[in-house]
Formats: sequence, structure tokens, C-alpha cells
Amino acid sequence: MKMFTTRSAPYFFIAPALILLFLFSLLPILIALLISFTDMDLAGLADYANIHFVGLANYTKILRDGSFLKAIGNTLFYVVFGVPFVILFSLAIALLINFGKSRVFDIFRAAFYMPSVTNVVAVAVVWSYLYNPSLGLFNTVLNFFGLPDVRWLQDPVTAKISLIILALWRAIGLNMLIFLAAIKGIPKSYYEAAQLDGAGTWKQIRHITVPLLRFAIFFVSVTTLIGWLQFFEEPFVMTDGGPLEGTMSVALFVYKNGFQFSEFGYAAAGSFILFFAIITLTLLQFRLQRKED
Amino acid sequence: MRKNAFFAGLLALILVLAGCGGSGGNDGNDGKSSGNGGSSGEKVKISVWAMGDEAKSLPTIAEEFMKEHPNIVVDVQALPWSNAHDKLLTAVASKGGPDVVQMGTTWMAEFANAGALKDLTPYIDQYPEFAPDQFYEGAVGTTKFGDKIYGIPWYTETRFLYYRSDLLAEAGYPEAPKTWDELRDAAKKLADRGKDKYGLSIDMNEQSLTFMFARQNGSALLGEDGKPLFNQPEFKEAVEYLKGFFDDGSAPLDLGLDTVQAFAGEGIVPMFISGPWMINAIQSQAPDLEGKWAVAPLPAKENNLSVLGGSNLAVFEYTKHPEEALAFIQYMSKKETQMKWNELTKSLPANIAAWDAPLLKEDPKYQAIQEQLRHSEHMPMIVQWEKIAQTYLDSFERIVRANADIQAELDAFNAKAEQILSE
Repeated sequence: MKMFTTRSAPYFFIAPALILLFLFSLLPILIALLISFTDMDLAGLADYANIHFVGLANYTKILRDGSFLKAIGNTLFYVVFGVPFVILFSLAIALLINFGKSRVFDIFRAAFYMPSVTNVVAVAVVWSYLYNPSLGLFNTVLNFFGLPDVRWLQDPVTAKISLIILALWRAIGLNMLIFLAAIKGIPKSYYEAAQLDGAGTWKQIRHITVPLLRFAIFFVSVTTLIGWLQFFEEPFVMTDGGPLEGTMSVALFVYKNGFQFSEFGYAAAGSFILFFAIITLTLLQFRLQRKED
Repeated sequence: MRKNAFFAGLLALILVLAGCGGSGGNDGNDGKSSGNGGSSGEKVKISVWAMGDEAKSLPTIAEEFMKEHPNIVVDVQALPWSNAHDKLLTAVASKGGPDVVQMGTTWMAEFANAGALKDLTPYIDQYPEFAPDQFYEGAVGTTKFGDKIYGIPWYTETRFLYYRSDLLAEAGYPEAPKTWDELRDAAKKLADRGKDKYGLSIDMNEQSLTFMFARQNGSALLGEDGKPLFNQPEFKEAVEYLKGFFDDGSAPLDLGLDTVQAFAGEGIVPMFISGPWMINAIQSQAPDLEGKWAVAPLPAKENNLSVLGGSNLAVFEYTKHPEEALAFIQYMSKKETQMKWNELTKSLPANIAAWDAPLLKEDPKYQAIQEQLRHSEHMPMIVQWEKIAQTYLDSFERIVRANADIQAELDAFNAKAEQILSE
């Protein structure tokens, strides 16, 4: 009997996490998969008799929907520019802060982390003022130096870049902390040995720090890639997908169809295409990482 | 044995979790609480969901209602408009939620079609306050879906013209523009005042604006057979008319200024079209503007039909207390309550008799609005309208921003609308 309790103890400990995961992650995903094969809408929600099985109709329709294809294009744009910049900037800032020996750098660390803990709606309000075409700080500064106005959120391509800048600013803090922690974990003796061999700071970074951060970089790139594929909050609060659907992301498209037009089946199909895209790309990353090892 | 213990633990946890969910879902509807010991017997609790600023003033009225109906307790829940739709979806999904719900007129079709609202047709004759002839015809129209009635008009809204009387007088318009041509001309003259000055604000995100102008130009929007008429000349002319304002700089694109900001002061944009809520906004944000601005009915082409909006009160299908819910709506639609409500919130009474209130009768602004209310129609009451209107905004954006060919764009939009309607 005693053996039985000790052997089953771990299950009791992980049960809460597993059950929560099942109830709030796996089950909804499964239900969403089922919904994506139906024409469920508000009437279907009120009375399940109104739900009909439509097979792959939602999928064939969404892949021919110009707005969805545009959303995919925009999301790829976000990912292609967003992910490398996040890694580059947060790594650079982590390295710079790590160099600092003075207490001031603790303040810098806090300052860079601040955007990550600030409510996105509050951030959006402030940034809308910064980007404001008539009153905004950015355009005022540009004008001061004799440069023309930039249509930050009014031109489809510029608006995408503006949102990337905002998201970059928000994302750097957390990833910088991850890099900082990893840097602190590198044994000092490596650097001492390198110094004895006459390696300068730049060589130390290239040949010791970055290679030993490989796993941290991999981790950050996986989480960042997933985050950017699900890019939602920034366009949702700043532009609502406009202008000319220029900032519409796949996640926002799914939200709009689901909660604005109540086309749950269609939205679920969209979310599954996104789901598979994320899984495929993440597996690809793992495959590449393994090859390198 | 080992397995059994494991599953027992799992089951216990599931039960605990399920228990939490169950009790959480019950509260809005858990009507009956024990009586207060008096002769009034059992008290019934009804919950009322209201949205926006109105919800903040509603408890005041609910207090008075409870004095008249000591056996009913009204619990007002305020929802912000921005997430009210989500919240209602959840209520429909859980088949719980409120007893009485405020329904924006544009949501009526969607929720009535879903069967979330109680059919009130049989009650119309029972309650004299519900008689359709005491409300504005347009407002009654928003309560109907198919041939049934799903709501009682609460307050109404219409769009009309706000203008800076001082600036228009300088531009040669001592009175507000009365026709499309005059509006066009006035806007141009105002825009010619100088750099960074405009005439009329056209909101690119306003769903019903073009449809309203198209109606003024004689478009029926949807034909007798329900087919869309969005690529017909009447509609196209309205789009061309609106685009004209952008083309010659009479209307600003991406100004980035708040409506009142642009309206006040030197009057960067001295005319705009909006609803009654802006009266309060102008008076509170730009009090020094008093006497320099006015409102007027919309300029006419074939007619000057405006868009009628507002809110109805509806009974949620899953209520356990329909009688009490109806008693509350009955109270809300009485002339006296409607007058009081107008005093509290400045929203426009749907009840025609309530317009006798001195506050409305003596104010030239409200007289102009009442004039417009008589020429106001709601948007088509079909489930797909929201989607059609949203789709149109994308087309309109392409026309204005990307200079897309108007006829080609409208043909494409019409085809999409046909497809949306056929679903």
C-alpha cells in the first residue's frame, strides 16, 4: 500500500496542471476543429439544431478569400521583419547592459523591461498620439528638422512598419532578460582564458558569448516566431486592420469573423490554418536546430 | 487498484472544477430570494443589461420603478458598448444572461434571428404602452424582424448636420445648406479659407454614411426581390458625390483630430454629420463655442432621409420572469419616464408624446432634430447587413485612398453582397 501511494504521488501533483491544460487548451482546440467543419453562427449557438456539417467548404472558401490571403501576406511581413529584429535588438541590449558595471545599468534594465509589463491598451493610446498625423510628436520632430510628414498609420506599408516598431519596443524587454540570464550563466573562466590568449572584447563576444547563447537564441526565436505569427493586439487596438487591410493579421481576421460577424465556422477554419502554419514552422525550427547540433 | 486511485483523484478534481463552473453560471438568473416578511410576498429579481453611458443613469430610473413595484428587484448591469456584443454571444451560448436587454437597433436582426429574443407580438395588445402608434414609425421598424416584434423602442437617434454658424455666415451661408449642391459649394468655400482648412468631415469608418446618401439620391439599396442595387446609377452617384469632397480637399483624410477639436476654435472642419450624442460632447468640451454653432436637418437631393438608430428594450428568450421583465419595459416606455430619461441622458425619446417636454420643445436644436427624425429610416433589418456594411467600407476605402475605378469597385461589391445575402 505504501509503495502504491509513493508511486502514484507524482500523478496527483501533475494532475491539476494536466486537467487545466486539457480543459482550457486541448478541449477547446478539439472543439474548434469540429466547428471548422460546420456553418455554426449565432443562430447555431442559440440552438444546436441550426448547425450543419459542411465538410471542407469553410477551408476552400477561406483560401479564396482575398482578405485572408492579404492577412497571410501581412503576417509574413510582420514575421520576416519582426523576429530577426527582436532577437538582434534584445541580444544587443543585453550585451551592452552586461558590460556596464555601474548601478545606472540596473535602471536601464528596468527601463527596457518596462514596456513588457505595461498594459497594451495604455501603450496604444500613447503611441496613437505619437503617430498622430497632425499633432504627433514624431511628425513634429521631423518637421523641426525640415523633413516632411510621414503617414505613420495611414499608408498600408508604412502602417505595418509602424506597428512592427511598436511591437519591437514591447517585445525587447522580456527577451533581453532571458539573454541577460543566459549571459550570466557563462562561466567567467572562459573569458579569462581568452584574455590570456589576447582575445579582444569583440572576439570574446563572437567566439564565447554568442556560441554559448545558442540555446537561449533558439528559445527566443521559437517563442518570438510563434508570437509574431499570432500578431494581434497591436493592429487590434491601433488600426483595426486598416488602412486598406494593410495591417490585418491572420489572428485579427479570425477575431473579426468570429466575434464581429459571428461566423464561427469560418473563423475556426482560419484559426486552424494558422495553427498548422505555426506547428509546421516550429517543427522546422527544431529540425534545423538539431542539424546544427 | 493503483489506476483506480489515480482516476478517483482525477474525477474529484473534475467535479470540483465543474462545480465552480456551474455555480458561476447561475447568478444572473437565480431569481427568487425569500420574501421580506411583509405582505408583498416573494420578491422577484430581474437583471437588466444596458450599454454605454445610458447604463450609468439607469439605476436612478430603476429605483423609481422599484418603488412602484415593491415585489420586483431590478439589478442593472452596465456593459461597455465595445464588448457588449461578445458578452451577449456568451449569454446566448450559455442560455443564461439577463431578463431585459438593451438592443442596439443594428443588432436586432442578428439576435432575433438567433432566437435569443422573446417574440413580443402577443403582448403588444395587452400593454397600452406598447402600442406602435405612439412611437416614431422608423423606431418601430427597428423592432420588427420578419413579421414579428422583438423589442419595444427605448430611445432613438438620427444623423443630422452640425455646422459652425459663424463660419458659414462668413462664407455666404447665413443658413445651413439645404441641398446637395449647396453643401458641396459651402464645403468648398470653407476649405478655400486657407491651408489646412476643410469644409466637411466624412468619417471613413461610418458604416451607414454612403447608404444614407444613396437613399437621398433615390436608391432603394435592396430591390423588391431582396437583390442588392449597389452598382446602380443612384448608388454610384452618391459615392461619386462623397468622393468629390476628398478630391478637391473639402474633406480631410487622416486629419488625426478629434471631431470636437477640429470643430472648435478656428474651425478646421466646420461641418460634420453625426448623431445627438455630439451635442453633449461639444457643450462640455468646447463651452466657449456656444452661439457659434447649430444643427440642421441634412441637405436634400431627392429627399433628405437620415439613418435612424438608437436602442430598443427586449426580453431575453431564456428569462424565467417574462411578466416582470415586461413590466419594466412598460415602465420605461411611458411618456413620463421617457421625459425623465431625456433629462438624465439627453437621448431622444422614442415616444412621440415625450417630445412635449419643455427641454425639447424650447430648444431650436432639438426642433431641428425632430424635423430630421420625421425623415429617418433604419438600415435594412437583415442579419447580413453588418457584414455587407463592413464589406462596403473596404470598397469605399479603395475608392477614396487608392482611387479605384468606382463602377468596377461597386460591381465587385455588389457581387460580394449578393453572395453574402445568399448564404
